[in-house]
Amino acid sequence: MLLDLLFGTYRQRALAQLLLHPESSYHVRELARLTGTTAGTLHKELAKLAEVGLLKREKQGNQVRYQANRECPVFAELAGLFRKTSGLVDVLAEALRSLQPVPELALVFGSLARGDENARSDVDLLLIADCSFGDAIKALHPAQAILQREINPVLYTAAEFARRIEAKDGLALNILAKPKLFVIGTANDLGKFAGDSSPASV
Amino acid sequence: MTLENLLAIHRLQAFEATSSGVLRLLASAERNLADARLTELSNDNRFDTAYKTIMQCAMIGLWANGFRTATSQPGHHQTALQTLPKTLGMAADTVIILDALRKQRNLNDYEGDSVADAAVRECLAQADAILAHTRQWLQSHRPDLLNENH
Repeated sequence: MLLDLLFGTYRQRALAQLLLHPESSYHVRELARLTGTTAGTLHKELAKLAEVGLLKREKQGNQVRYQANRECPVFAELAGLFRKTSGLVDVLAEALRSLQPVPELALVFGSLARGDENARSDVDLLLIADCSFGDAIKALHPAQAILQREINPVLYTAAEFARRIEAKDGLALNILAKPKLFVIGTANDLGKFAGDSSPASV
Repeated sequence: MTLENLLAIHRLQAFEATSSGVLRLLASAERNLADARLTELSNDNRFDTAYKTIMQCAMIGLWANGFRTATSQPGHHQTALQTLPKTLGMAADTVIILDALRKQRNLNDYEGDSVADAAVRECLAQADAILAHTRQWLQSHRPDLLNENH
């Protein structure tokens, strides 16, 4: 929604693909296929984006390949914008919506949340939910194809998450301390799940 | 990909199982599932042991179709799981979950994250289901492999 306001459809889809897979370079037709757009219009978009330095344009024989330019001063901010919206968070939120009951909290941690992912990085996803692990896997499965990344959910109930925080479980503490992208719920909600459990620290 | 194609690219090897071999593996799968139910054990070991049952059933499925995985090849667990629809006629949906359990196991074994309760529960439920399914499948497709004297 927000991105629809800021960018046209083609530019939005192309940027999501390029900025969130900065280690990959694409031929125009390949990019058109991946984003469900047409090569003709995309070609002009990409040329403009390369002109302002957001993309790298490289000639390989008679093929032109485009790749996100990590050196561009606003690369990190723009990639973050796409990660927080249509490029990652929205896709996960949509997939999780089908779960019964809907998770109380969902967030991405790990390399994608830090913005230092590579081609092989998985999506590390924390779910605080009462659904079964199998249901979560089935719900998230279609999103893997859209994101072109594997999704590794860590599924805790609220009680288990609280217990792990109290027991100073490495992964749980790590999630609290490190960068994250909220898919369902907010930092405030996470604080409640973590805090209710440790009255000693209140 | 068909089992024959996997054979051609050396992911699988031809193998003729004996009933004593199958019965031995089936008994081991049962012992593992029983151990996985021991609540005194840590989540990690319960998960691992239930996963072993799943893998052993997948192996039996390959054996019963005249194959085994090439253990010298990387990813033989994945191969064994992904052939389940072809070997034991399992639903693709189930294989998606089993493959996710395989990935969880990698994270637990190699990154040291302790397994969540929900993942243990799922692994136990899936191990229980695949063991029952394997027994039934053998009963109706390869009863000879369940016959001690064969």
